[in-house]
Amino acid sequence: MSSVAIVFWKELREILRDRRTLVAIALAALATPIVLFVISQVSTRTAAQTYTAGYSGDIPAGLGILFNATGLKLERVADPAAAAKQEVDIGIVFTSSGIEEYYDPSRQSAQIADIRLQTLLGRYDAARIAASLQQKGVDPSVLNPLPVTLHPLSSPTQAAGNSFLSFFLPYILITMSLTGGLSAALDSSAGERERKTLESLLLTPAPRGQILIGKILAVSLISLTAAIAAIGSMLIALSQISFGISGQQAQITLTPLAAVVMVWLAVLLAASFSSLTIALGTLARNFRQGQAYATPLYFITIFPAAMVLFIPDFSPSLWYYLIPILNAVLVLRDAIVHNALSWSPLIVTSASLILTGGLCFYAALRLFTREALLVRS
Amino acid sequence: MSPAAVRVDRLEKTLGPNKVLRGISFEAQPGEIFGLLGPNGAGKTTTLRIICTLLAPDAGSVEVLGFDTRVAPQEVRRRVGVVTAEIGIYPRLSARENITYFAELSGVLDGELLRRVDGVIERLDMGSFAQQRAESLSSGQKQKVAIARAIVHDPPVLMFDEPTSNLDVLASREIRDFMVESRGRGKCVIFSTHVLHDAERLCDRVTIIHQGRVVASGTTAEVRGNFRELEDSFLSLVEAAP
Repeated sequence: MSSVAIVFWKELREILRDRRTLVAIALAALATPIVLFVISQVSTRTAAQTYTAGYSGDIPAGLGILFNATGLKLERVADPAAAAKQEVDIGIVFTSSGIEEYYDPSRQSAQIADIRLQTLLGRYDAARIAASLQQKGVDPSVLNPLPVTLHPLSSPTQAAGNSFLSFFLPYILITMSLTGGLSAALDSSAGERERKTLESLLLTPAPRGQILIGKILAVSLISLTAAIAAIGSMLIALSQISFGISGQQAQITLTPLAAVVMVWLAVLLAASFSSLTIALGTLARNFRQGQAYATPLYFITIFPAAMVLFIPDFSPSLWYYLIPILNAVLVLRDAIVHNALSWSPLIVTSASLILTGGLCFYAALRLFTREALLVRS
Repeated sequence: MSPAAVRVDRLEKTLGPNKVLRGISFEAQPGEIFGLLGPNGAGKTTTLRIICTLLAPDAGSVEVLGFDTRVAPQEVRRRVGVVTAEIGIYPRLSARENITYFAELSGVLDGELLRRVDGVIERLDMGSFAQQRAESLSSGQKQKVAIARAIVHDPPVLMFDEPTSNLDVLASREIRDFMVESRGRGKCVIFSTHVLHDAERLCDRVTIIHQGRVVASGTTAEVRGNFRELEDSFLSLVEAAP
């Protein structure tokens, strides 16, 4: 058996006996469905929620029925402006000349109630105008001289679902590729120094490069397992849970193309992160110091996924695909949102991540063969 | 006299701002216990680390059974086993798994692996705890695992760096017995210590180093000279050193 295989199997055995790593993988598998379930409950509840409109004055004829149909409950109050601050979601004063509306934009419930009120009033106004025109023998269609017929090329519900997945999936993939194997990486690098096993290990005739590769492969496998466990459990959860999207109950699905791209990116990310975290762990004297060194990685990895969230229509040039992690997020987003794969971005992304992994491996090897590694410990 | 198992020639080494070794030379033979003595910070551990290829010398050379540490470090590592005071073993592996791991990395072939591992477990009387995880073992048991790990590939040169400093009386005695037994098997045993009673009792020849230089070398009797104990000679030499 080669030294790579010997180290790989030993590391794997140790990792699987380490409670920290097992807890990390279990959390990876369980946390996502729990979060999704909560999101689903909130979104469903928001869609079905009835909001209260406190009012004074006389309700115009026919408007009350529309209120009930739109999920706004009318409740008479003495002072709608005061009530809108806390007691009710929105305050309305019906006067002979129109409607006074009071709402607090800092309250989410008030925002939703306002949108519903505007929609409702729009319908009411249109219906009243149409009725008046008909009474006078005028065709109401004169009000809409250029009618538009919509032909959405994809289901709006699916588009909303894709938008959700294009943020959530890369975020899960990247964080789990990093955190799933972090404990194992630090244990097999900084842990060797802390336990004082490093000297004995380096005393064996096994080439140090092979020892390092064995460690990186074991950690990569754990990272990959954590990432796939998290995403697999997320997809299973998505197939069971429906969300309130665009006013409808809908399920979110991942296309086979996106799944293949995701697994390929997970492999590349896991290998790069494993090399990087082992390099950082090799710099550290103990596990705790290694954790301190690795902490900035959380921010660095979350940032690209956040970019996609805040700039949803971000259309980067090919150069952007050279930036590690961001490129993985972009490729995955394209695969999810457009259900299409452009070879150029994928090739550039793969080359960039392989190069990053190679550089991290080289750094880890340089650190692993330094005399200072032993002298400092 | 047979060819030297370990030949150290004018070794120099600087670590950070400190010149740790300033021209150390000695030879250790097969079938002897060679004492490398000196106070803390004298350069004993650095010398051993250079012999076993963990550190590279700045000047001078080291040969182990004819292999230069700089030219053929892997050949040297195959022929050396090291036991230190710091018993670093993998806590989540059993004693047997720890030994097997190092046997495999040291190049013990699959066909011989089981026999070698069983052999050292029996030789060091580890049968009762071989299957236990290392984290549950006592210090003495862990030290046995560390010794087993160092000898499982049957190296002709064994180096002990302050091996008894963290052990109780019984465990220390077992280590000393093991060194004597290894000498009987024709091994070259290099014993680094500042416990001069142990050195006087065990070593055939000794070299005393102080501030990176050899201040005395020879058989234990020669170095002791006219003093009653080796410790007295040692103190005299160290105090006289510049």
